[in-house]
Amino acid sequence: MAAITDTTNSEDKKDYRSNSLARLTLRRIIRQRSAVIGGTILGLLILVAIFAPVLAPYDPEEVLIGKEDIKKRSSPCIHLLGCPEDQPQHILGVDGNVRDVFSRVIFGTRVSLFIGFSTVGFAIVIGTFLGAVGGYAGGWLDNLIMRFMDVLLAFPSFLLAIAIVSVLGRGLQNALLAIGIVTIPVYARVVRASVLSVKEQEYVSASLALGGSHFHILFTRILPNAIPPLIVQGTLGIATAILDAAALSFLGLGAQPPTPEWGTMLGSERNQVFTAPHLVFFPGLAIMITVLSFNLLGDGLRDAIDPRLKQ
Amino acid sequence: MKNRSLFIFVSLLVLASMVLAACQPAADEAAVVERAYEEIAYSEPMSVAADSCDYGGKIKSVAAVDELTVEFTMCKPDPAFPTKAAFTPFGIYPLEWLNTYANAEGQETLLSAPVGTGPFYLDTWARGDSITMKKFDGYWGDKPAYDTLVFRWATEGAARLLELQSGTVDQITNPSPDDYATIQDDATLTFLPVANPNVLYLAMTNTFTPFDDIRVRQAIAMGVDRQRVVDNFYAEGSTVPSHFTPCSLPNGCVGDAWYEFDVDAAKALLAEAGYPDGFETAIYYRDVFRGYLPEPALVAVEFQTQLRDNLGIEAEVIVMESGEFIDESTNGRLDGLYLLGWGADYPHVTNFLDFHFAASNPQYGDPHPEIYEVLEAASQIGNPADAESLYVEANNAIRELVPMVPIANGASASAALATVDNAHFRPFGAPLLGRVDPGKDTFVYMQNAEPISLFCQDETDGESLAPCQQVVETLLGYAIDSGDVVPELATGCTSNEDTTVWTCTLREGVTFHDGTKMDANDVVASWAAGIDAANANHIGNTGAFEYYSYLFDGLMNLEE
Repeated sequence: MAAITDTTNSEDKKDYRSNSLARLTLRRIIRQRSAVIGGTILGLLILVAIFAPVLAPYDPEEVLIGKEDIKKRSSPCIHLLGCPEDQPQHILGVDGNVRDVFSRVIFGTRVSLFIGFSTVGFAIVIGTFLGAVGGYAGGWLDNLIMRFMDVLLAFPSFLLAIAIVSVLGRGLQNALLAIGIVTIPVYARVVRASVLSVKEQEYVSASLALGGSHFHILFTRILPNAIPPLIVQGTLGIATAILDAAALSFLGLGAQPPTPEWGTMLGSERNQVFTAPHLVFFPGLAIMITVLSFNLLGDGLRDAIDPRLKQ
Repeated sequence: MKNRSLFIFVSLLVLASMVLAACQPAADEAAVVERAYEEIAYSEPMSVAADSCDYGGKIKSVAAVDELTVEFTMCKPDPAFPTKAAFTPFGIYPLEWLNTYANAEGQETLLSAPVGTGPFYLDTWARGDSITMKKFDGYWGDKPAYDTLVFRWATEGAARLLELQSGTVDQITNPSPDDYATIQDDATLTFLPVANPNVLYLAMTNTFTPFDDIRVRQAIAMGVDRQRVVDNFYAEGSTVPSHFTPCSLPNGCVGDAWYEFDVDAAKALLAEAGYPDGFETAIYYRDVFRGYLPEPALVAVEFQTQLRDNLGIEAEVIVMESGEFIDESTNGRLDGLYLLGWGADYPHVTNFLDFHFAASNPQYGDPHPEIYEVLEAASQIGNPADAESLYVEANNAIRELVPMVPIANGASASAALATVDNAHFRPFGAPLLGRVDPGKDTFVYMQNAEPISLFCQDETDGESLAPCQQVVETLLGYAIDSGDVVPELATGCTSNEDTTVWTCTLREGVTFHDGTKMDANDVVASWAAGIDAANANHIGNTGAFEYYSYLFDGLMNLEE
């Protein structure tokens, strides 16, 4: 009787492990320079958001009238760069309500990242469910869901968000909900497209033949294969969501005073673009860096893991 | 023979045409705006009257005595009548125009295409962009030195200044205080300080909880540091008011001065009222630059901060569209605090006190008889010294009842190109733009916002009144450099001894832009449209006719 022996040697095992999907993907991502740069910036932003109370020298809502001898809209003062020691240091200056701009920009990172992740998370959950159910079930249900998505897509997304906020009322929560709602169709379409291609694969038919439930097949066999394009779309979507939220806040429909949100900061000081440009420059720069980081990361991820680009 | 007959027929036809042309009314030659109605020549004198004086208002009747004489009969003495009648909302329109457009079908024209006797007539109103006016060659007074007057608007002070610096506009209103030095240092610009008395106030409506409790209102009066607001958010020269009415007006500042800033006393009052830890509310405002409120958003956030830090009151800051804000606030429908102000329209204490605290004004909720009864009595006294004791009583009652908290008397300014001759900003009333000379054919005036409408009998905002001032005239007017009342469409108004009857003599030979001739019936019809709630022409924009109601203690023939 011949013994059954493991014919794969340890070297082969190592190769197998090193070529697992996750590692391959990671290697591909690392090879994408834009993904690395975007990821690094994003990592720093996340650290800034987490350690905001440590990094910010002031409470972002603290009005410094009567506490420091400083006038509203004072220019940046950095002692290391020659600002007199007897003047209080505000490295990005103070705003019209005599609050430290640097602290507000730092805390604004928290708000913006929260906006980006929460709106896209919400849209992905709803969009994935709708796209998966529509794509897998097909027929009238697919038609119903996708035509509704088409209706949502037919409106300019930002105008639709403004309309939703106008109905729900101004405020950060409602702005998040509005942005989440208008981005649902994007994710629903991505997931549905993936589901439609994957559900025709032999392993799905095999699972069905083995008695797997539709729920089991959809969520354990099909959806995992639809995740990569969703990650790419989600990363790029966060950038758009942050921009939309800033725009809503700029218009007074999103975050309300005194919340340190970058769009609100821009909106409240927009008249000072010539007299105190630092008040619009730094929040604008913060928005730009954050959006850029997500866009770079999203582009890199797409190049690395989107199946359509693997060839 | 046949040719001769034809010649005679043609000759007669030409002759008839010439006769018909010669018979055209002479007034039509002066018409610069099209009219869809026939002129009604003066024949029967018109009048409008209240059934009795029981309605509580001041005006009993307005009647034409003859073609050029109008008589105002009062229910009670009104020594300030000429000062009020000189104000833009009491402008005179053609009777025929009112009859045609002061109704539901014609309302759009009523609100957007006024016809008056002013130095300019309305050419076009491109909504959202500009208003263009043309010189009225049939004007009775000194004609403007240029042909075209354009009104434009921009909500942001920096944008207005940029337009002025680039020469695309000739005069701007309310540059940002931060830009005063820039304007003063620029040789191509003229800095025009505005001497208009004004006040910013933080108001409350006593029909909403918790502002129905006088202790809460008093706590807010003591709990906000007004000096801090003025020091940090207003231009140099601004002051903290001691009373609601600015002190430059006679009897404005008599009585006890306003509360001192006292957080402990304020907290004690709040605790006594059942709010030891404060409460939640809102601060409403409109993002429109005013001399009394140069930076609305910053001041709103400052109050949000002070209320939270000083009294534990959490207030959400809510910015509203200007028209909606005015409508909601002046009708007493805002459930929180709100920032509003007032710039003097005419130089009399009644312009501040009677307008805001009249029995018919719902702005602060239920009106206070302790205030309005005294004001009604005071307004009947002509000599300021004789009325002083009553105004002391009224000001003390305002201080005690706190319908609002006076925050600041703002210093403000206007600016014009240095090439504009006689550029000015009157202390009372809108600029007289027919008097400036830009040295070219067109003068562009840029203000803070677009007018709400151009039917100014029923408007209160400065952005509407400024263009109205150029088109529609009043019986009397204000001097260009003071609050002195000067003749306008009337050569004068005289009263009997107790000021209960005012007789105005109209200027002869005045024509409206539609070519119709002004007479006493036009004056009666215009006043009737404003003051008589039962009049068929009493339509307006919102129908509130606030100045008529508040300055004359209510509208006559108003159904309960």
